[in-house]
Amino acid sequence: MIINFKVNGKNTSVELTKNKRLIDLLRDNLKLTGTKEGCSIGECGACTVIINGKAVNSCLMLAQQIDGCEILTVEGLAEGDKLNSLQQNFLKYGAIQCGFCTPGMLMSAYALFLENPTPSREEIETAIEGNLCRCTGYKPIIQAIVSTSKP
Amino acid sequence: MMIPQFKYYKPKSLTELKHYLREFQNNSCILAGGTDIVPGFIQESSRFTLIKHLIDINFIDELKTISLADGFISIGSAVTFSEITKNELINKYFPLLAKAAQTVGSLQIRNRATVVGNFVNNAPCADSVPPLLVYDALIKIVSPENENIIPLSEFLLDPYETQLKKNECVTEIRIPILTKDYIGDFYKLGRRSAVSISRISLAFLLHKEEKIIKEFRLASGAITPIGKRFFEIERLFIGREINSETFKEISMKVGEEVLKTTGLRWSTVYKLPVVQQMLYQMLEINAGGIPR
Repeated sequence: MIINFKVNGKNTSVELTKNKRLIDLLRDNLKLTGTKEGCSIGECGACTVIINGKAVNSCLMLAQQIDGCEILTVEGLAEGDKLNSLQQNFLKYGAIQCGFCTPGMLMSAYALFLENPTPSREEIETAIEGNLCRCTGYKPIIQAIVSTSKP
Repeated sequence: MMIPQFKYYKPKSLTELKHYLREFQNNSCILAGGTDIVPGFIQESSRFTLIKHLIDINFIDELKTISLADGFISIGSAVTFSEITKNELINKYFPLLAKAAQTVGSLQIRNRATVVGNFVNNAPCADSVPPLLVYDALIKIVSPENENIIPLSEFLLDPYETQLKKNECVTEIRIPILTKDYIGDFYKLGRRSAVSISRISLAFLLHKEEKIIKEFRLASGAITPIGKRFFEIERLFIGREINSETFKEISMKVGEEVLKTTGLRWSTVYKLPVVQQMLYQMLEINAGGIPR
């Protein structure tokens, strides 16, 4: 089965020779290894990507299901060498320790901004409720997202 | 950790869906949100590893709508929890369902998982089930030859078991619009506030005239083997006056019934008093005199 989709703005076509999950398509076929696999059962959010504007767990979707969709992964956030403001604020506020949850956190936060450029703190907390971080205690992450919010 | 080598299909219409259901008879499985099935593959769950044909219903437009029909709201079987929480009709007519939907999993899961998938999977902890049961939800089941509309309460049989046959698909939930005023609420207790599996869930609706209970509907999830209505207890309290004594009696009765259904478990010593206390508080806060 051939699937056609857009990933990080680029039209892409992949011939699937066997069934696989979206995360495996991204990491193995497309070498987009910024998307991380943590729990594999939809609980940790490390594999979060944005499909047609919505944050989803790429470990819970089959590759076939993205035929015709538009996907954004963490590799698509920066413009060339320039990090976007959300990424810059993650650095500025030290919202990263081991870094494993960071791509998922960024994608959940970015999906929130696509829908709502000025989210409340509560809306931010809801947006990242599906992203586990075992290092930071969440405070610097929330701070980074709050600071990216456009007043 | 392998995905089985099923064949994948994505029908664009109900006619096409029925064609696949007829062709594959007993070897197929419907894929909606996939949030149970896909991790089920990874965990090599025996419920999913033998699937030969996987039919994805996300591309059937008419299953993706929430609409107002003659006396009921129709929810298609590809409608996600996120769509439920944002929908005006659902928030207006069935606030308990909207509230329960908001507590499901995480945002990422709600963006994919469907309400119909929630009860077709029929885990004991399915959050949408208690509210759907108190709203007397009906479901539409489609097979290649037939269409059938039955109450959800009859559809659910045992944990992870429903009446659904292999060549059938649930296409729609129909919830009758309430014609009277009801007081009601949904309560969920999990081990944490997000991405949590319900340990206790409760939903109730109550219609009163003056201080007398005229109608009472009560359902639970997670504390009973599957989501269930307490029809007998409901009937006992019709005509009773609304006061703390009545609420206490209801809570005691529900506790007894839960104990009868599940037997003594290691968790009973904790859960039973919590169920009774939470139900009592819910009734007092919503229908009695205690301020919120």
